[in-house]
Amino acid sequence: MAREIRFNAFDMNCVGHQSPGLWAHPRDRSWQYKDLEYWVELAQLLERGKFDGLFIADVLGVYDVYRGNLEAALRHSTQLPVNDPLQLVPAMALVTQHLGFGLTASLSFEHPYTFARRLSTLDHLTKGRAGWNIVTSYLESGAKNIGLVGQNSHDDRYDIADEYMEVCYKLWEGSWEDGAVLRDRARRIFTDPDKVHPIAHEGRYFKVPGVHLCEPSPQRTPVLYQAGASTRGRRFAGEHAECTFVATPSKAVLRRAVAAIRDSVAAAGRDPRNVLIFNLQTLIVDETDAKARAKYDEYRQYINLDGALALGSGWMGIDFGRYAPEEPLRHIETNAVQSSVEAFSSADPGKVWTVRELAEWIGIGGLGPVFVGGPSTVADLLEEWVAETDVDGFNLAYAVTHETFADIVGHLVPELQRRGIYKKDYATGTLREKLFGAGPRLPDSHIGARYRHLDGALQRALSAAE
Amino acid sequence: MAHQSPGLWRHPRDRSRDYRRLDGWIELARTLERGLFDGLFLADVLGVYDVFGGNSEAALRHAAQTPVNDPLLLVPAMAAATKHLGFGVTVTLSYEPPFPFARRMSTLDHLTDGRIGWNIVTGYLDSAAKGMGQGGQRRHDDRYAVAEDYMQVVYKLWEGSWADDAVVADARHSIFTRPERVRKVHHDGPHYKLDALHLAEPSPQRTPVLYQAGTSPAGRAFAARHAECVFMSGPSKKVIAPRVAAIRELAVEAGRDPADILMFAMMTVIVAPTDSEAAAKLADYRRYADPEGALTLMSGWTGVDFSRFDPDQVVEHVTSEAGRTAMENITRADPDRRWTVREVAEHVSIGGIGPVVAGSPATVADRLEEWIGETGLDGFNMAFAIRPETFVDVVDLLVPELQRRGRYKTEYATGTLREKLFGRRRLNHQHPVAMHRWV
Repeated sequence: MAREIRFNAFDMNCVGHQSPGLWAHPRDRSWQYKDLEYWVELAQLLERGKFDGLFIADVLGVYDVYRGNLEAALRHSTQLPVNDPLQLVPAMALVTQHLGFGLTASLSFEHPYTFARRLSTLDHLTKGRAGWNIVTSYLESGAKNIGLVGQNSHDDRYDIADEYMEVCYKLWEGSWEDGAVLRDRARRIFTDPDKVHPIAHEGRYFKVPGVHLCEPSPQRTPVLYQAGASTRGRRFAGEHAECTFVATPSKAVLRRAVAAIRDSVAAAGRDPRNVLIFNLQTLIVDETDAKARAKYDEYRQYINLDGALALGSGWMGIDFGRYAPEEPLRHIETNAVQSSVEAFSSADPGKVWTVRELAEWIGIGGLGPVFVGGPSTVADLLEEWVAETDVDGFNLAYAVTHETFADIVGHLVPELQRRGIYKKDYATGTLREKLFGAGPRLPDSHIGARYRHLDGALQRALSAAE
Repeated sequence: MAHQSPGLWRHPRDRSRDYRRLDGWIELARTLERGLFDGLFLADVLGVYDVFGGNSEAALRHAAQTPVNDPLLLVPAMAAATKHLGFGVTVTLSYEPPFPFARRMSTLDHLTDGRIGWNIVTGYLDSAAKGMGQGGQRRHDDRYAVAEDYMQVVYKLWEGSWADDAVVADARHSIFTRPERVRKVHHDGPHYKLDALHLAEPSPQRTPVLYQAGTSPAGRAFAARHAECVFMSGPSKKVIAPRVAAIRELAVEAGRDPADILMFAMMTVIVAPTDSEAAAKLADYRRYADPEGALTLMSGWTGVDFSRFDPDQVVEHVTSEAGRTAMENITRADPDRRWTVREVAEHVSIGGIGPVVAGSPATVADRLEEWIGETGLDGFNMAFAIRPETFVDVVDLLVPELQRRGRYKTEYATGTLREKLFGRRRLNHQHPVAMHRWV
């Protein structure tokens, strides 16, 4: 049987997201991101199209690398202004039954004690449809904010992240046992105190003595997503991530990335098939190839090169404003740019990639590729990519919203369903059950499962191991 | 769970158990809007009530505000289901870095079309501080000093970073935001430092409506400077009236119009078609009351372990680093009234430290009018005995009586929460926020 393709919608609580400039298109609605109705309608649309989830990006910093200031970012609204993503979920949960919500939250800006409660609350309110995209930020911006104990500016932010995860797992998995909540009216006992355990965490960076504030939610630990691409990031993903995101421009690069991720999962003692990998893509679909191409050409008129370079400069840590638009990228000698050159060259070997070409690429859909065509053409491409790269699905950004998503739901999804490579119905249960079919909780092989039994013996064993 | 009436989760008609699901909250929000309530005010604590007995067993057993979920996340769903109801959320600033917090509140202000308020709380549970990795909570008055610094940071972010005319969304000229109308804010204070611009564009109210609930001397001074609405909790008019007067005086000293602060006292109303039916209802509720749960809450509020006292012992004033008001309420605030531990437990077990008024619509309306007349209050923060029944009864029975008497609105004013309460969208120039504005 052909392999099922999964879709997430990739969005952000801001204007334009991955296609700076296209907010100026008359049909784009992203400037309505501050209205609940905008998000409610999107969620309903995505659920009609049987998307697995809406994945909401976030960043607590600003894109000020380009030309060393914020002018381009502000003028072209490149992820600024940007609102809090978690606040969108409850209204969307109300109007959907199945759609999952992957929330990006940086663990560098919030203490795990309050953060764990936020995610548990979301998991309760969505009836088990919450996911967390784990992001680490640079140390200086976060540390003072959340009162880290004993931090050192040279400490690896992933070491801090590992301990943060440990605190969260203890709270989510271990603090309240199943069956702690009795709600026994006759005996006047709501919760059995013997089944709620202080986590007594005393680590290098965090000290959290008490109990989780929330009773167990359907999934306990939300579905864990991660997007780090560095070697250390991959190792972190190997241990923690149930789903990972990548943003690669070509099949060749994607195939290598998928293999590397599955290797890192296996190295952590987990089943490499038990991680779902999604690539960033933008799909411009219409009834026919010709109509799709005309639509794409229309969108391209709104591409804003300055806005695109503001994003690119932020992502790659290099100020593209210092180079002329026609400067070949090969001449810009930084690691980030050179590996991008290789990546893009594998997508289109004949092309001489210049700063302008990069800006045009980013201008619609960020670093991921854009597929343009009628349902058949795009379905063929997606099948090809899945077969040749072993990717599980796609994180779909928009060019114009909600039009890009409406086109996918209206034209593409029925074609994929017809081919038997896309679900016709949601599976029942929590987000984790829908994705992995093996129960609402983390599997036993996952590192989080180690923290399930917080009785004295385990505590002593864990302390001895540290 | 078990907000102010511990034990009543056991009542067959109570639905507090549904707090983990959205549908109960949506229904509650719609009920309150039907009754033209100004707002739904959500309390919160980040710790566990572990003062009673020196551990959290009683809190867990009696569900005394444990488990407790994040209150902010209820708001967007309730906002989607309503048009006018305001939402006041409690957030403890001691445990919430100002930069992401300011964005959270701006986000909620956007999503609710300007119907959000913030109950500014510094925290009173030691367990919360420890949960956040601190050795213990700061001393009571120090917490207010920290709060003062925190407010400067968030005022700068909300009012001083993006000018009103920053966002133009001019598609023709490809300009979304005019860069020269957005600036970083700088703060170098004793407790907080910041060098960043606000991430959110200006929301309808910019600064959310500011609520405050501590009535210790430090709390009152803070309220007089910053608060637009003040919540008070006390068992009698005698205890409440002087506080109302004191805060209005302090407001004048702080250069504000005393009418710019609305004062609400906590109140639990048990209303039924007749007095005897109401009395029967209250008696029924009392059967489920939970004195140990009540003392668990009281211990948390006061920082005093009530499990160590004999039930017939009279409570004497003790100073702690927890809250100050609850202890004042049963000791020094009314020197003519002495409370035994047993009496405290009984009183607190329905409606917390606030009063319970039970009767027919006319009886209750009389009593509320008396309260307003004798205390100078502007309104009441209604707690529940059982949820949602307490609120449904108020909306169905009491509100029409008050409307009939011309003492309660018959429709909402238009606009944001601040416009509905004060007739203006933004804080005025007398408020400390004004010095941080970028005009």
